[in-house]
Formats: sequence, structure tokens, C-alpha cells
Amino acid sequence: MKRIFLRWEMALFAMLVAEFAIFGAINPRFLNLSNLLYSTSDFAQIGIVALPLTIVIIAGGIDVSFASTVGLCAIIFGIANFFGLPLSLCIATALGAGAVAGLFNASMIHLSRIQPLVVTLGSLYLFSGAATVLSGVVGAGGYEGIGNFPDSFTSFAYLEVASLPAPFVVLLVEAVILFVILHFSRFGRAVFLCGLSEHAARYSGLPIRTIQTITYVMTGVFAGVAGLVLSAYFGSARVDLGTATLLPAITAAVLGGASIYGGQGSIIGTLMATLVIGYLQQGLQMSGVPSQISSALSGALLVVAVALRHGSAVLTSFVAARIMATNRKRAAS
Amino acid sequence: MLDFFARNRVATLFGVTVLAFILIGMAAPGYLSLSTASVIMSNSLVLMTVALGTMLVILTRNIDVSSGSVLGLSAVILGLLLNNDVGLVPAIIVCLISGALAGLFNGILVTFFSVPSIIATLGTLGLFRGIMLILTGGKWIEELPQSLKFLAENGSIGISVLTVAVIIALAGVWAITRHTRFGRYFYAVGDNREAARHLGIRVNLVQISAFVAAGVLAALAGIIFAAQIGFIPNQAGNGVELKAIAANVLGGVSLLGGSGSVPGVFVGVIFMTSIDSALVFLKIPAFWNDFIAGAVLLLVLLLDGRVRIAVEKAIRAKRYAVHTPNKTTVIPAKPATAPTAQETTQ
Repeated sequence: MKRIFLRWEMALFAMLVAEFAIFGAINPRFLNLSNLLYSTSDFAQIGIVALPLTIVIIAGGIDVSFASTVGLCAIIFGIANFFGLPLSLCIATALGAGAVAGLFNASMIHLSRIQPLVVTLGSLYLFSGAATVLSGVVGAGGYEGIGNFPDSFTSFAYLEVASLPAPFVVLLVEAVILFVILHFSRFGRAVFLCGLSEHAARYSGLPIRTIQTITYVMTGVFAGVAGLVLSAYFGSARVDLGTATLLPAITAAVLGGASIYGGQGSIIGTLMATLVIGYLQQGLQMSGVPSQISSALSGALLVVAVALRHGSAVLTSFVAARIMATNRKRAAS
Repeated sequence: MLDFFARNRVATLFGVTVLAFILIGMAAPGYLSLSTASVIMSNSLVLMTVALGTMLVILTRNIDVSSGSVLGLSAVILGLLLNNDVGLVPAIIVCLISGALAGLFNGILVTFFSVPSIIATLGTLGLFRGIMLILTGGKWIEELPQSLKFLAENGSIGISVLTVAVIIALAGVWAITRHTRFGRYFYAVGDNREAARHLGIRVNLVQISAFVAAGVLAALAGIIFAAQIGFIPNQAGNGVELKAIAANVLGGVSLLGGSGSVPGVFVGVIFMTSIDSALVFLKIPAFWNDFIAGAVLLLVLLLDGRVRIAVEKAIRAKRYAVHTPNKTTVIPAKPATAPTAQETTQ
């Protein structure tokens, strides 16, 4: 029992329950089931990119370029659609572009052996630049969106699958797939070992480069998925579709228990953290709090949660050391 | 030759920058002129100041991604004070203090709560931006007094008060990091925290002062921003933290801490800024900016990484050459490449 209740995921669950209680008390309409379900469409994309990002972080890397990859994939989808390719081919092209973006990141990191943060920072500019340039190709003039999608595509965002909104279903299905991959497969164990100690992983004969490359490619592909979901939701593909996901997604991964030093994290934690962050924004909005305050609060939430997590770890080890010291004194005397 | 460039990162970047200037000058006559230099200089002031603060933090093996929001927050505080008829000097002092407090907050989070710096500053990036928006109520601050805008005006010799301030800041940080004991502690802490602690350096103090300095410099950048633009939009300083980190990396500041210098950051910032102005002269549409900036950054990183790997290999080869029984030039290569081969075939 203790092992279930003392997990970080339970703390996140408690946060979520507290949010529901507080926002429900302020505005009872917040707890309306259809509101709870449909407001997920506003933040599902955060989870869609945060989940594979968690795996990248666990493997000891980090990727900040996904925010641009979302826009790049959306634009590529829009261009493919503009030139009259069939819908399935358009989607495949967009996801393929995401995979290539991920592969590019991984190869740059391995070729230059420079910290992933810096390399993906570079590709953050490169990809958003590429998306801007590409959108100029079809005459969308720099920063405008590409629209005119077939109805079957735009209606997808408003579809209901088993009375759940489609973007949320995408998130859940993705979470299940990644949960199985990360926690119940050989590859998943290898990811954890890579992040814990690259040397240990290398001497165990694990193909570190391949493993890390796969994690980056996954992030790219799911950034593509997020781009498609957002394009369907808004009815147009824009360069800056993913810009707003950059900080919340990293927040979700870290709040969900992923250690920035690698080797620690979980899919369920990130999923819960996504819900915590998403409903915090939604709830604040419904309570009539201006959006500027809610952005301050979500920043504060990240700081406080992580400070508590690390602070409590520091405190625990401090208390443990004191107890050990007193024991030793008692034994000596 | 290879050795020289690998050891002198700044020299390499300086060479590349000069080469780039010459090439652009040939393609677009009129680019190489004093007026361009003056434009690049004044355009680079904000980034220069932020990057300087970021360098101090990176030296101690931390990172600060909140500087863009600190810039915005302190600029807003300055603007609000000035528009409520507070004098220019007290307003600037309060603005710098607010930057110091913001940096102190970051430093406390990182030092006493042992939150990884990227997470802590990522959180405060949102937090400070939110506080800024609460202060302004989401409105832009306009009609700043003329006395502030005057600071950004180029005087008779084409140099504004702000340029002088930034040059003083550069010189100050250079002098401190090069020639004072406390300044060297930044390098020591970043290079090896535990060793620094055992040497009796007050690691926590050094780390916090790095964050406070970064906050103050970001606030100075906020003053420059407000003076140059003449109003303060909501997104003031958005994204400048990423550019500052990029400029640092270009300038040879290692993100692993403990190495980097002020001249490097200077050249890095000038390089980044001159890309933007060069695009204007080459008549390339503005939407290529991000693409070219990203491509250049990645290219430099790739080159730098490859050169460093090559140099490490050469150094290792020299070291292992001692152990070979008959000193021919062919055999030393083999034991030398063995460890690296193992690494590359992971």
C-alpha cells in the first residue's frame, strides 16, 4: 500500500483533485462532465508532445525543438494538401517530416557531441525558419496560415470516439502505447539505463546511439501528430502552432517526475501533470482570472512543485543523516 | 594550425566573422561602412547585456533561461515609475534592484532548494512574465519621457550613453572574471564544484552572486530596450534568453561550466547581430532570418564539435605514443585510436 500511496503520481492526483474542488467551488459549471471532457481539446497537444519528450529526458537528452517541429509538420501537411495529394498521403508526409526532424536532431547531437539543449536550441530556430520559408512557397506570405483542408480532416478534431473528444483520445492512445514501450519492454529498460549511466549502458553493450536516436525520432513524429491535431482543430496550419507548447510541455514532463539529469520519469506522471497544468489554466479562466495571472500561476506551480520535490529530498537526507549521527553517538557511548 | 583554432575559440569565431563581413561587403557594396558598424553596435546592446549575465551563470555550470522575463519585468517597473513622475535616476536604481531581486530568487531556488537551474529558471520565466503582465494589466506602456529616450540617442561621435554603459559593463565583467580572486571562483565552481568546496570557496555565495549579476544585467538590458524602442510591449524580451545562450555557445562559453570569456561573448553577440543586418543588405526577405540564424548556429556547433574531437584524438595519440616500444610514426596511431573507436562504435 505504502508503495502505491507514496508515489509522486499520487501527489499529482491529489493536486488534480484539489484543483477540481477549488475551481468547482468557485464556479460549479467547471465540474460539468462535458466541460471537463471538451476543455481537454485546448491542451491535449501539450500532452501529445510531453509524453515522448519524457522518454527523451529519461534517456539523458533533452529536446526543445519540438515546438517548431509542430509548426513545420503542420505547414508541410498544408503544402501537401495544397498540391492536391490525397489526405492519407498528406498525413504520412507530415509525420515523415517529423521523423526526419527528429533524426536530424539526433545525428547533429551525435556528430558534434555537444549538449542536446544547445543543438536542439539551434534546430528550434532552424525548423521554425524552415516552416516560415516553406509557407512562403504556397504564397501564404510568411506568417499567415494555410487553410482549405478537406472537411473529413477538419471534422476530426470535433469527432467523438466513445463519447470522448478525438484529440483527447489521441492523447490517451499515445499514452497507452508509450506506457507499454517505456515500462514493459526491453527498449524501455534500456532507455532508463542510458539515462542513469551512459557508461554503464555502453559497457553493457547497449546501442546507446540507436536508443537515443529512436527517442528523438519519436518526439519528432508525435510533434507531427500534435501539428495535425492542432491544424484540424483550428482549421489552418500555421508556423507558430507549437510555440505555446514549449514551456508547458517541459513543465509537464518535469512536474510529472522526469529528472532533467536522466534515468527517472514515468508516462503516467507526465499524463497526470498535463491534466494538472491544463485544468489549472482552464479553471483559472473559468473563475474569471485574467490570462496573464494564470500564466504567472503556472510558472509558480512549476517552481513550487519542483522546489518541494527537491526540497523534501534534501530534507529527508538531512534528517536521515542526523538520525544516523545520533545513532552512532549512542552506539559509541 | 588545428590546435590553434581549437584552443582559441574566440580567434576562430573572430576570423569567421571578419570573413563573413568581407564576403557580404563584396556582395553588397556599401555594407562595410561606419554607419553599419554603428547600427550593429546599437542593435546588439540588449543581447550583449543579457548574454554577459548569462555567461556568468553558465560559468558556474548553471543556466538562466528567465532573463527575457526579467528584462520585461524590470523594463515595466522602470516605465511605470517614470510615468508616475519618479525621477530618471531613482527609477533606474529601482529597476536594477528589481532585477537583482529576481536574480536572487533564481539563485535561492537553485542553491537552497537544489532545483536544477534549467527547471527553476524555466518556472520563473513564466512567473516573472506573469508578474509583469499583472503590473501592466496587459496593456503596453507608452509615452515614456524624453529623458529616457535621450539615453539611446547617438551623440556627436556616434556613441550613445547606453553604449558607454554597456562597454563599462563589459570591461567590468572582464576585469572581475580575469583579475579578481572572486571572479576566478566562478570558473572554479563551474569546473569542479566539489573541488571548489574543498578549497574553501563559498560555493553557494558564488552561485547566488552569478544569478544576481545576471538579474542586474538583464534589468540593464530592460532599460536599454525601453530607451531604444520608446515603449514597452507585453512581449518585451521574449526569446532573448535563447539568443543569449546561443551567442554564448558561439563565443566559446562551455555549457558544462568553467570556461568562457568576455571577448568570446562579445564576438558571439556581434556575429549573431550582424547576420540580421546582413540579410537586409543582401535583400533577403526577413522571414529567412530564423532559418539562417539556426543553420549558422548548428554549422558552427558541428564544426566546433568535430574540431574538438579531432584535437582530443591527437592529444591522446601523443600521450599513448610514449608507451609504444619502437617509436615509429605508424604504430602510435593504433593504441591511440582504440579507445575512441570503442566510443564511436557504441
